[in-house]
Amino acid sequence: MRFRPGSVSILAVIAASFIVLPLIVDFGSSTMNILILLFVYIILSQSWNLMGGYTGQINLGFAAFFGCGVLITHLLWKSGFPIYLAIVVGGLSAALLAVVIGLPTLHLRGAYFAIGTIALAEALRIVIGNIFPSSLSLPGSYASNFNVFPRYYLGFGIAVLTLVTVYLLIQSKFGLAMVCVRDDEEAAQVTGINTFKTKFIALLISAFLAGLAGGVYAFNRFYFHHISAVFEPIWTFEPLMAVVIGGSGTLIGPVIGSIFLVVLSEVFVQILGEAHLIIFGILLIPVVLYSPSGLVGWMDWLKKVIGGLTRNNER
Amino acid sequence: MEMFTQTIAYGILVGAMYGLLTLGLGLLMGVMKFLNVAHGTFIVLGGYVSYWLFTRYGLNPYLSIPLVIAVMFLVGLVVYKVTLSPLLKLPSVGNRLNSSMLITFGIIYVVDNLMTIFWKPDVRSIVAPFTGRSMELFGTKFSITGLCGFAVAIVVAVALYFVLGRTQFGKHVRAATQDAEAASLCGINVHRTYLISSGIAIALAGVAGVIIVSSYSISPNGGLRWLLVAFVVMILAGEGNINAIVPAGLILGLLEAVGVFIIGAPYRQVVALVIFIVILIFRPQGLFRKRRLAT
Repeated sequence: MRFRPGSVSILAVIAASFIVLPLIVDFGSSTMNILILLFVYIILSQSWNLMGGYTGQINLGFAAFFGCGVLITHLLWKSGFPIYLAIVVGGLSAALLAVVIGLPTLHLRGAYFAIGTIALAEALRIVIGNIFPSSLSLPGSYASNFNVFPRYYLGFGIAVLTLVTVYLLIQSKFGLAMVCVRDDEEAAQVTGINTFKTKFIALLISAFLAGLAGGVYAFNRFYFHHISAVFEPIWTFEPLMAVVIGGSGTLIGPVIGSIFLVVLSEVFVQILGEAHLIIFGILLIPVVLYSPSGLVGWMDWLKKVIGGLTRNNER
Repeated sequence: MEMFTQTIAYGILVGAMYGLLTLGLGLLMGVMKFLNVAHGTFIVLGGYVSYWLFTRYGLNPYLSIPLVIAVMFLVGLVVYKVTLSPLLKLPSVGNRLNSSMLITFGIIYVVDNLMTIFWKPDVRSIVAPFTGRSMELFGTKFSITGLCGFAVAIVVAVALYFVLGRTQFGKHVRAATQDAEAASLCGINVHRTYLISSGIAIALAGVAGVIIVSSYSISPNGGLRWLLVAFVVMILAGEGNINAIVPAGLILGLLEAVGVFIIGAPYRQVVALVIFIVILIFRPQGLFRKRRLAT
């Protein structure tokens, strides 16, 4: 996928509006928090997409990386580290965790990789829950001069970094190897691709980015009732849904999926309360069955239809 | 010593239940190559049906099993018809596995939240007169609910063995498992076989739910815990090896009980998951190697 000058300028306008608008218009703190959550979801879904969409390995233990990022960032920040350093270390420790989880599970094929990762992530969640049974919170001094802007721009910056990283990866030879592994692992091996190494590196990058997302999340929260809540499988399932509904194996799909997910949750939580997630289940099933390319596929189809109509009119 | 025999007894009772709650997952995976991630959710649903019959009509949970089977069988038919049968068109087994996983994810979200709407997110369990009572056999205490669960597990496993091994339908299932195309050329209605197998698989999950709601507790999003147990047992038994599932469940129950005896109760689930990873790495074909027919 190459960008044309037109789409580059559209992207520049979108990015500029994300940077400038909050400074001019006062959105209020709840909207800003939703936007930060949206950035977290974009980072998470895009990094899940790197493994699930491009490399074809369905990672159900993804929450472990996010949770690791949150926990390490929170603990380091509390012990006096500067927050930006803490976030980077959080990302690195998630990558380290990926080494531990990846070495045994990446040898497994297909569904067994999925089952193996969810088993390890659950084991980790239970251990963390036993180590930190009580709530974790930051001292009051951290909250006294709270300012939402650094959090917003950090989230935005890392979301852009994630998208650029994935874009550059796909353009590279390594990206081609990832797609080969997804399409046919045996054939990829025969043509001389080191499939284990490819999957391993993809997992490391994906985990590092998920750890950074955890850092953004930890930066915005001062109090965790149960720290094991950030290791809950929901942090795997929701990015997975965003990717599949948006369009897996595409650059823009997870972004659309995340926006869709966050906006719909905000709308339906008012109507259905706790049960609002039912909407995503109802959406996910037909998408998997009838349009595996997700919302991006619908947009392409729409574009084709509109293009066909205008051409007919010209004639 | 008494402590130890008690541990073993507990392990056997729990292990039989582990076997029972895996049968449905193993059947879907073995016969159709569908990985049903929503298996735990269907277990919980079966538990709620039984709970509802108990609180509404005072029906003994073990007597409600036939009704639960009927309801969950219908649920299984609907699930197969609406969501799983379109997947049979997919060309490769790997595709089918991954897509069935994603679809059953969607089912988790739908069914979990429906249960939250109907039964509220509270934790529920059936408290019957015999709950919490135990009886003594050979100097060891066995809880009544545990013994009933054990009996149900054995009866169900033996029944399933006879259905799959000794009936015409079972023959069709085995044929469709080995080679769906060849089976359909021989005049077997593969779709109907799959449909009924799905119904049976979900009904088996429902039976497990009845046992769980009467000896443990259920909540709308508590399915994941049982799903993980079922995964572990399925891997221990070996994929597609349905007859080995209950023995594998017993092995897991015993190992877990001994593990908890040594390192403590908070790490109960961790023991199972570690066993699981070790098996996945060193013996991915399962503990019981399946006898292969000469070809």
